[in-house]
Amino acid sequence: MKTFRDVVKWKSQYQKRQWEATPYEGREFSAALYEKDGPIARITLNRPEKRNALNDAMFSDLMAGLHKANDDSDVKVVIIRGAGPNFSSGHDLSSPEGEESPPVHPSLAPSVRDFYNIEKRRCNKHEDIFNFPKPTIAQVHGYCIGAGMEMQAACDITIAAEDAQFGLRGFGIAPIGVYGHNLGPWPGASPKLLGGNFLPELSGKEMEMAGTINKTVSILKLEEEVNKWAQAIASQPTDALAVAKEFINGMLDITGYGAMWRTHYEGHVMIQWVRFRKDEVSFYRSKKDRGLKGFLQERAMHSTPKKEHGRE
Amino acid sequence: MNYQTILYEEADRIGTITLNRPHKMNAINDLMLEELDDVLRAKETDIDLKAIVIRGAGRCFSVGQDLSGEGNAEVMPPDSKADISAKGLIEAGTRWNRRLEYIFNYLKPIVAEVHGYCLGLGCYLAMACDITVAGEDAVFGDPSLRMGLITGIPLWTWFIGTKKTKELLYLGRYIDASEAEEICLINRAVPSDILGEEVQRYASALAISPGDGMVVVKESINAQMEARGVGAGWRFLTQMQTINWMQQKQILANEFNFWEVRDKKGLKTAIKERDDTIEKFFPKP
Repeated sequence: MKTFRDVVKWKSQYQKRQWEATPYEGREFSAALYEKDGPIARITLNRPEKRNALNDAMFSDLMAGLHKANDDSDVKVVIIRGAGPNFSSGHDLSSPEGEESPPVHPSLAPSVRDFYNIEKRRCNKHEDIFNFPKPTIAQVHGYCIGAGMEMQAACDITIAAEDAQFGLRGFGIAPIGVYGHNLGPWPGASPKLLGGNFLPELSGKEMEMAGTINKTVSILKLEEEVNKWAQAIASQPTDALAVAKEFINGMLDITGYGAMWRTHYEGHVMIQWVRFRKDEVSFYRSKKDRGLKGFLQERAMHSTPKKEHGRE
Repeated sequence: MNYQTILYEEADRIGTITLNRPHKMNAINDLMLEELDDVLRAKETDIDLKAIVIRGAGRCFSVGQDLSGEGNAEVMPPDSKADISAKGLIEAGTRWNRRLEYIFNYLKPIVAEVHGYCLGLGCYLAMACDITVAGEDAVFGDPSLRMGLITGIPLWTWFIGTKKTKELLYLGRYIDASEAEEICLINRAVPSDILGEEVQRYASALAISPGDGMVVVKESINAQMEARGVGAGWRFLTQMQTINWMQQKQILANEFNFWEVRDKKGLKTAIKERDDTIEKFFPKP
């Protein structure tokens, strides 16, 4: 039987920021595209036929794009957006088992250290976006699920279409998200929108009300609005922007942001050992028995609290 | 008490401090900071005085630190051409933070009565007060980044959360009182014609509470803020300001340079050009 190390080459937990360690020279960007427009760099998640599901190739292009944007002194702000019908549907659950993006199959029997390293690398991609030295804007339309949701949370500014749909669906298990920390101190917002709703699916408008994103506009005006914000940020002095970002993120670290990233990937490690009862949806079992689409259907049925779905 | 830049009066156990440089839109200079410190220190031990109100004379609460270059060695970072040392900058940052932190931890409740502009240091002052009530004509914002500076108070993320902090500080966008209320930067926005009345209502209600109880409540709330890291926040800000001031000279040649424009064309033009850079995108409310 194959083990984890047969499939995934041993890697230590990451030392460098991941975008920094991803070369861009001579790269043909395809799973994510990079373009520059004056002081604005745009990185476009580009697997529309897969609803921009994040796999290793896409993360690699995304990281390389960030690297390039950081090295280019003309670039003052980076926009991350999705091609096609949506921003991103999250980690690509159909990725080959050796990739970092989908959950590690338990039959590969990874050690705790293997899990620790892979989960830290996986989750740190988002933390590295959060700490990217230049301001970032997420331009969100359509579905923004799972890892896509985390990615927009890691950007400094999020502008979304009113009817965008945000959510964390998990692998048939409780979601572990970082976006909760982005909630402001609104006393009414969090219980009303998130409390008692374990698998929250929120529209752009609801996310705006909860204070986790900056602004929503009609999808027709989304691009225009995002460009306005990007140009406004780009009109600021470069060095002062860098210091301001470092300052704000430092403040957030003091309030526990660092610990939040840590619990996020440690949560990922812990959920590897969740045992499923027969009446619960297990990604691994469901995918084996019914295929990926079957799993998605089963999960959707179980997380939709409607009587007429009549669970057996 | 005779002050040059503030007025102080007392009635019904409420002390009212009026920022009083109306011809300069109550721009805060070194003397005003000192006089504020002085009057607060003198009144802190007066156990019959139950609450403080801070307001502005004339058209607004305050446009922020005095940027004229005169009498503002403390409120402004040192001249970039001067010989600066990290030690001197750390001392300056520490002094600045200590003054705002003193107001934040003052042993009586302080209410800020805000009308018109409440920008930069004026906004920090209103944030450091316990309760901020604003007239609907009030305008809040922090344009420091446009001058190549970082903000001067750490409280933003605790008050308004991550994304809104980044929005207000990166863009230097000005917001009106109702938006400030919505995002919890202030307590209440009220119609301008009843602002004074409302603030008196708040202050009078605070003044009838037992003074000792008030101290314990304020201290325990601030202790919770401390537990959430605000104490480290003040300190971290000093360090970031030091870094920021040391690199202040590095506004790039193709970027708007407030200080150059100020020296060449005067302060008014510099402020107008500063605000124009952002108002192209986000007009003033």
